[in-house]
Amino acid sequence: MATITTANFKKGNFIEFRNEPNQIVDFQFVNPGKGSAFVRAKLKSLKTGKVIEFTYKSGESVEELPILTREMQYLYKEGDAYVFMDNFSYEQFNISAGLLEGFIKYLRPNDTYQVLVYGEDAVGVRFPKKVWLTVTEADEGVKGNTASGATKTVVVETGAVITVPLFIKEGDKIGIDPETGTYLERG
Amino acid sequence: MLAYNEERNNAIMKTWQQLHKDPRLWQRYIIREYVLRAIREFFDRQNFHEVETPLLIAKPPAESYLDVFETTLLDRNRNEARAYLSTSPEVPLKKLMVAGLGNCYALTKSFRNMETQSTSHNPEFTILEWYRIGVDYKEIMKDCELLLLHIKKYIGKKLKAPQGNLHKLTYQGKVVDLSEPWERLTMVEAFAKWAGVDFMQFLEMEKAREIARNKGYSVDASTSWEALYNQIFLNEVEPHLGRGKPTILYEFPGSMAALARRKSTDPRFAERFEFYIEGLELGDCYSELTDWQEQQSRFENELHELKRLGKTMYDYDHDFIEALKIGLPDCSGIAIGVDRLVMLFADVKTIQETLLFPANELFESI
Repeated sequence: MATITTANFKKGNFIEFRNEPNQIVDFQFVNPGKGSAFVRAKLKSLKTGKVIEFTYKSGESVEELPILTREMQYLYKEGDAYVFMDNFSYEQFNISAGLLEGFIKYLRPNDTYQVLVYGEDAVGVRFPKKVWLTVTEADEGVKGNTASGATKTVVVETGAVITVPLFIKEGDKIGIDPETGTYLERG
Repeated sequence: MLAYNEERNNAIMKTWQQLHKDPRLWQRYIIREYVLRAIREFFDRQNFHEVETPLLIAKPPAESYLDVFETTLLDRNRNEARAYLSTSPEVPLKKLMVAGLGNCYALTKSFRNMETQSTSHNPEFTILEWYRIGVDYKEIMKDCELLLLHIKKYIGKKLKAPQGNLHKLTYQGKVVDLSEPWERLTMVEAFAKWAGVDFMQFLEMEKAREIARNKGYSVDASTSWEALYNQIFLNEVEPHLGRGKPTILYEFPGSMAALARRKSTDPRFAERFEFYIEGLELGDCYSELTDWQEQQSRFENELHELKRLGKTMYDYDHDFIEALKIGLPDCSGIAIGVDRLVMLFADVKTIQETLLFPANELFESI
């Protein structure tokens, strides 16, 4: 483990909080009415997936956790867990829904993802910059609506609902930023 | 269509570009207009004077917890003078009250350095300060209740909202009832209620360290009382304030009120309050300190503190002490973050969404 201070906080960092592994989901600076600055972090427990807020003194030390990335294939959903298999060792790992959170709606069976591993446990997926998914439901764009930037919503094969430009049709492959859910380009 | 793709790929759109693309986004800036007009109507109806105070100043009030913007004023011979951007209109308003102005307010810009990376701060922000002569801070509490109700009704009328809900505000899915009286909690009550801490014990440094350590906070030799207080306040108290109904938190420790008068019945506390809505701090009020000697000694303490913290050094405003010697009438006043008010009434999560040109769009590095 490495000691860092709040000055080194980054979204997605893994740190120890009250002897438990946590991920920094978000953080921001707080200046109370009278006094020095504090850092308010949203921490997600790697054990339960629960998110809490904690306010650190600016400059306070925390332990950063060693996290490895392994390439794994997503296999299937089992109850509340998502089952992945290491591409090299064929070892299987379960990741709970709480830890996958916003990424669930982009998961496609048999695709390979960068899975984050802490000790013996898989604790999440590193969001790719772009995922390519096929549009399965799309209405025709409203006739005569040619205003630049006009949009509609479509459904992709994994069930995610995405806002896209009017020219996107059923069967198109589209690139999506999974972090924000925004449409990037047509394949 | 190609243009659409290019724009999407070109990082994040600026606010003016988003407005160009989606005219519905103007709504929250229309709300900003209404908030500003409602504030002016509220005070004009009560015959308050609106005054303009300088933004470019020679001497900021000595407040060690603020970081000032420093710049250089050049005369025609290029002789340099230190200059600063105003952190609040408080000192000029008080000088004007010494000069005989009476009840007054300023609705203006203020600047505080290092206030970045926060969804409730922008280094340049809009501040409302008003002062009432001859009253203590309890009267300002009533002003706050009435002002927010007035703004709510003003916006409701403009937007032709149903008459029945004019005192209710929906913020991020939560309903807040603005009708009077708001919840009032002393600091002692709030610490007991939400943190389970006996605040009178907590006032002693050794006790405070022990309490914080037992709660699992990191405490070392350099941890100040103020840091211990704030960490417990921010983690355990503040998140509960203003839920469903605004909360007025009052009677602060004397050490935390540079320009406030001490309570005559218990000098450990100062006549200061803050009010909160849905965990958001909106305003900070004092019964104003009128004793020039105490003001001078507090300024000197603050300057020592600035030096210790390695912050931008400046001399305090001696002119202000001269004004207090002539005599500031008994008065109370408050500073309100207007952008945060707009956040509430426009129902947006971040201060940046209330601004047409937020600092993080102007300065790409922050």
